[in-house]
Parts: sequence; C-alpha cells; structure tokens
Amino acid sequence: MSFDEEMREALQTFIIESLELLQDMEECLLSLEDGDDPTERVNAIFRAAHTIKGSSGLFGLDHIVSFTHVVESVLDALRDGKLGISPELVAALLPCCDHIALLIRNVVDGQLDADPAISAAGRELIDELQQFLQPGSVAEKAVTVSEKQDILEASGGGTMDSGNWHLSLRFGPDSLRDGMDPLSFIRYLSTLGSIAQLTTIAENMPIADQMDPETCYLGFEINFKSGAGKEEIEGVFEFVRETSTIRILPMDSEIDEFISLIKELPEDESFLGQLLVKSGALTKRELEDALNLQGEGDTEDGGQAAKSKQPIGEILVEQQVVQQPIVSAALDKQKQIKDNKARENQSIRVDAERLDILIDLIGELVISSAGVNLRALETRETGLLETTGEMMRLVEEVRDSALQLRMVPIGTTFSRFQRVVRDVSKELGKDIELIISGGDTEVDKSVVEKIGDPLMHLVRNSMDHGIETADLRRQRSKPARGSLRLNAYHASGSIVIEVSDDGGGLNRDRILEKAVERGLVQHNAVMSDQDVYALIFEPGFSTAQQVSNLSGRGVGMDVVKRNVTALRGRIEVESQIGMGTTMRIHLPLTLAIIDGFMVGVGKSTFVIPLDQILECVALPEDTGDREYVDLRGEVLPLIRLRPLFEIDCEPPRRENIVVVEYAGNKAGFIVDQLLGEFQTVIKPLSKLFAHIKGVAGSTILGSGKVALILDVPSLLEYVGSKNALVPPSLSQHSAQ
Amino acid sequence: MAKTILIVDDSASVRQVVKIALTGAGYDVIEGVDGKDALSKLTGQKVHLIISDVNMPNMDGITFVKEVKQLAAYKFTPVIMLTTESQEGKKQEGQAAGAKAWVVKPFQPAQMLAAVSKLILP
Repeated sequence: MSFDEEMREALQTFIIESLELLQDMEECLLSLEDGDDPTERVNAIFRAAHTIKGSSGLFGLDHIVSFTHVVESVLDALRDGKLGISPELVAALLPCCDHIALLIRNVVDGQLDADPAISAAGRELIDELQQFLQPGSVAEKAVTVSEKQDILEASGGGTMDSGNWHLSLRFGPDSLRDGMDPLSFIRYLSTLGSIAQLTTIAENMPIADQMDPETCYLGFEINFKSGAGKEEIEGVFEFVRETSTIRILPMDSEIDEFISLIKELPEDESFLGQLLVKSGALTKRELEDALNLQGEGDTEDGGQAAKSKQPIGEILVEQQVVQQPIVSAALDKQKQIKDNKARENQSIRVDAERLDILIDLIGELVISSAGVNLRALETRETGLLETTGEMMRLVEEVRDSALQLRMVPIGTTFSRFQRVVRDVSKELGKDIELIISGGDTEVDKSVVEKIGDPLMHLVRNSMDHGIETADLRRQRSKPARGSLRLNAYHASGSIVIEVSDDGGGLNRDRILEKAVERGLVQHNAVMSDQDVYALIFEPGFSTAQQVSNLSGRGVGMDVVKRNVTALRGRIEVESQIGMGTTMRIHLPLTLAIIDGFMVGVGKSTFVIPLDQILECVALPEDTGDREYVDLRGEVLPLIRLRPLFEIDCEPPRRENIVVVEYAGNKAGFIVDQLLGEFQTVIKPLSKLFAHIKGVAGSTILGSGKVALILDVPSLLEYVGSKNALVPPSLSQHSAQ
Repeated sequence: MAKTILIVDDSASVRQVVKIALTGAGYDVIEGVDGKDALSKLTGQKVHLIISDVNMPNMDGITFVKEVKQLAAYKFTPVIMLTTESQEGKKQEGQAAGAKAWVVKPFQPAQMLAAVSKLILP
C-alpha cells in the first residue's frame, strides 16, 4: 500500500473517531450542570478536543487544529479550575462542537482547507471563547490579523510562567514573498521550548486599501521558556536573519544568572565579545555583526579611527543584543583578567621541557654528589669532608629551588570546578555550593595535570551520591543548599587535597552488604570502618541504588584510586553518617625526587620512601619463623625481604625491622642493615620490569650500583593477602 | 493532507535519502532530476516547498529558482538551496534568485528535516 493510500485510510479512521468523540463531548457538555461531580466529564471533554486537535494536525488540517486549539485552551482552564462551569460557558462550547463537526464533514466532502465563510463563523465562536479565556488586552489584539494568529495568541493563555528568553521579532516585508512564513518559524520555535506569552505587533499594518497582501507587516514579542541556548534559538531564524530583525535577550530575571556565569568563566579570554559568547549571552553571529559595525565606523572616521572606535560593549547594547548589566559584568571580568595578566607578566614563561631537563640534571647532580661524599667519607680527610658537606647542603638547596620552579598553585585547578559544580547541580536538580580553600597551595605541575580527572570524579560522585536532594536535606534539618568543599594543604612533606561534602555520609552497612554480594569480603568478616570505606575503591563496586547519568556505573572510584596510586599517592575516606564524607588525597610533593631510607639485604640495597617509614627496631632474636612480632603490644605482620626477593645468602646474626605504614596499615620489613637516609632520584623501571610487584622504581647509588625502590603499598597488599590465611581476629587487629 | 515538497537534484541517491527522510516525517515528495525536469513537474498543483541543488545538467539550480519565481503559482513557494561549504558565492547568488533558505551539503537527514520544518509544517 502506498503512503498516500495509507494516509487516506488513516484519514477515514480520523473522521469516524472524531465524530464519535464530538458526540461524547456534546453529551458530556449537556450533563455538565447536572450537579454531580463534573471532574470526570470535564476530563472527557478535554481529552476529546485534545485528540481531535492532535490527529487533525497529523493530516495537515490546520484550520481544524487552530479552531480546536482555542476550545482546548478553554477546557484546559476549566479542568485546572481556573474557570468555573457556567451556563454561558456551556452555551459557548456547544456551538463549537457543532462547528468542529462541520469542519470534519467538510473534510469528508474533500475540502481539506479552510472555507472562508466557515472560518468567519469559527472566528466569531472563538471570540466568544476568548472572553472566557482572558478577558483583557491580548484578546483584543488576537483577532486583528488572521486565524493563524489566533492560535498563537491563545497559546499564551496568560497562565504559564514568564519564560527565560525574550524574543523580539520583526519579520522583513519580503518574508512572505520569499516563502518564509512567520508562523512556521514560531511553530518550529516551540519545538525548542514553550512559548509562555506571545504578543503580535501589527502597528505597521496599513489601512486595508493600502495594504499589500504579499507584504509582511508583522512583528512578534515572545516570552519563551526553554533550556536551549541563545545560539540554538538564533538558529531557528537562520533563514530570515538577513531580512528581519531578530533580538533574543534573556529575561530580566535571568540577567543575574548570566552575570554569575561570566564571573565563573576561566580567565583565559580577554576579549569582551569572547567573554560574552562564552557565557552564552551573545552568539558568535551577533558578535561578528557588531564587529563589522565597529569596523565600518573605522573606515568612515579614516585616520583617527583607532581613537574614535566605539567600544564593542556600547555597540552591543545599542544593537540591543545584550543588556547593559551583562556587559558591565563582562567588563569587570575583563579588567580582572587583565590585572591578573599584568601580574603574570612579571614572571618568565619557560618551556616545561627545558625545566624537566634541568631537574633531570639536578637529579644526576644529587646522585654524583652522593658519590663524591661517599669517597670523601672513605678518605677520612677532615678538610675534604667539610667541603663535601658544604657542597651537599648547596646541592640540596639547588634541588629544592629547582623543584620549586615546577610548583604551581592548585587554585586554577580548583576554580575549574566552579563551572562543573554549577552545571552538574543543575543537571541533578540540586542546589550545591562550592567552597574552595587552600588554592594557594603549590603542587608539582605534573601532579596538577594528572589530578584533574580523579578530582572530577570525586566531585561528581559527592554531588551525585553524597549530597542529598533538597527535600531530604530539609527532612534531616540541614540547610537545603548542599555544600561541597575543595581544600588543599601541605602536611608532613606531602600535599593533601580534600573533597568533602555535607551529605548523607557513607552507609557502612550498605557497602558491606554490597561487598558481600559482590564476593569482595566474606559474609561475617569483621572490618574496621576504614577497611569498609576502602571497599568503594574496589573495581566494579557501586552502591548507588539508582544509576545516574554522572556516576554510579561503578567504573569511577577504582580508576580514581588507580590514578592516585600512580602518582604515588593514597586516598583516605572519612565519613559520618548523616554528616558527610571527606575524601582525602595524599600526594607526594614531587614525582621526581624522594627522600628515601636505604637498607641492605645481603649484597643488595633497597630504598624505602622515608615518608612511609615510622621507625626502625631490632628484630627480637626469639622471632624464629613467625610472621609477626609484638610491637609494644601491637601485632606487627612481617615481610622478610630475603626470601621475597630470593636473595641467596645467610642472614646476619642481628636483623632489623623497618616499620612502615601506608593508609593506616602497618607492617615490618626485615632487613640486614640500616644504611640511612638518602636522597633518591627515581628512575622508572623499563617496561620489561613493569609487571614486577613490590618495586616502584630504581635509583643509582653514589657507588654506581643500582638500588630498587620498594613499593610499600603493593607489599602491604601482599601481607594482606597472606593474612587472609590467619584467623580474622588477627588480621583485623593488624589493620588498626 | 500532507504537504508536497519538490526535491531537485541530479544525484539519485541524494533524492532518495531526502525522500525517505521527508516521507517519514509526513511530507509528500516529488522529484526532479534537474532544473528542466523539475520545471516540467510544476504543473499547477500545490507544492509547499522546493529543495534544489545548485549544480545540475540541463538547467542549474540558480536558473531553475529564477524560473520558478516567474511562475504565478509558485512564486511564493519557499526554496531551500543545497550548497556546499565552498560555495558561499553560490549561496548569495541563490538568495538573490529567491532561494532564501539553504542547507549545506553534505547534510544529515535530520538537518534537512530541521530546515524544512522551520519553513513548513508536515
């Protein structure tokens, strides 16, 4: 069956269906004043009109659509209780039923377009209805032009809220001749949002005998409610832009919104126009037009153009494409950016690569000076020892200041989240405030580059799962506005970055339940809060009861942990149910050089990162083959480096324990000798060795020998897996 | 009833894609393989919109549009010109001839539908 045949058949169905609906409508209308609860009947009448309108639209029966639409609007008002049932209303609606029936019968007779005589009758009916709908000014204007405008006027209804955009449209006189029907554009506009109010401007309409029916005299003032951006709305009028005047302005109530958006823009754009475009208050096209105008002004003024050039902001306001307050806000922002730029100019930009080379060289210098120091120690020559000591101190200073070169304040990374928080909270329908502190804290540039993604995830996670909806917050007697904090500070040789929220906190029981379900822990495992919270970083773990667009697919938190671990950092979780959660990321100050502690096992040398070492104690001689010792009443699991790294030689008479701590877990490494503190330049292991666990990298000693840097976290994990064999009480103990 | 759109393009595949998109959206589509052929299809019936390519054998799109604008029955019919990125000049030429709307080739069916529905309703 061809499409046409299909359509014809569908039209038959429509006709039968509509006539039936009209019959029902009439019956219901007649019984409306009977006294019984009329709600159901009003709904039925509304549905009938709505269906007829909807399906006649499908068949291009515009005259039926437009007439039915007004009827539907009245019924809608009746249904919402904005109109009361009155004999007058019923009297006005009944002829409308008849009229629709007439229109449909005409369709049966093959008349698919409006018949002028019938339309005139329809308009009279509509006029009557309009009085019920909006006894006021708009109704008067509504009848001025043609049937088509009736629809648009009526869609205002005066009942919806005011919208967020104001569109001022003046169609060019040739619009109709060019085949550009204003109605089509306005209809298309309503696919982007809803037209809250529409006023037809027909001031330019001349008296009847002077009117050229081919010329378009119409203008429209539209209050439009839409989530679409200015650019998108502008796109609707793409084809008439050149011949018509199209102004799209945010409503006054939205101006503040744009101003705050402008304030939150990143500080990398110093042109006023660009700022406005970025905030969405101005479209690229409007900017281009304004710049062209500015350029035209230039050529007219000739020589003194540069001086007399009209500021772009003024042009934009004059052209009525942006409101003055928004321009002012952008100007303030521009000034702020310029000030910051001026400050920046006092510094020198250096290629990051050159800096890396310098730091690399200084690393080598640290190594070789350690070598010099070693030789000097062997000579036992006081003068030489003194000078090498002095040199070591200077090298250390050079190292520190070289590393300082790479340091940047973390504030810029943080301020990026203003926008993220704003957008995401809008998306989630939550009101969330971002509080930033410690933005001046300086972090290694490479850390800043890599911490963005994990932070983004933590922030989104907190907003999505942490902070409750406003309703729930009110129930819990918290302020409706949730707050999210980003904080950074230095603590004992590392950087701490905190993401905290004042949301619901982690639900220990739910996490455990889920972990058991996923087989991550045993059914009756006894675990500390820390251990339970750490489970959220396990791959594939997600307790979100509803998976949302942003997070909750369980792919995030384990990646966060992996990224942070790759930076030699760790994450701590602190949470209190009902009070909120704090995610604390500890990161090393720099990635290139660490302070290490050197230990010897047999002929091998190992380096343990100093910030992970708690203390060194002698191994009690009665330990034997036990896997743990009693450290001042605490159970300390032991890791014997000799068998672990398969070092084949007899242990010395006295061995030592290096007590390390990572993420709240302690363990003791059993080593032969304690060789002391050592500044270590980390050399990453080649790919060949990348799979080896327990080794984080290597370094070259002053003697030229290679020492392996131990990867404390992975070694502790190794202990953890071994401890799974010992009774749970013990493993729980060790986790304290 | 459904509104009629005339698509003029010498490429059968372009016509086919446009036709599928438009009929799917509820328009009737008639086709013309070039300007001359398309003019012969305009025999007084109601055509609500014309979509025309620029470069075509026998009669190019610009001439075609100019001819259409001479026909009393079609002089107010909106015309969408199919231009390519590099034909900024052609776009203006088309506009001068009376094709005030345009879609840049290559286009997605959805883009075509958006442009069409700005101008006429199904």
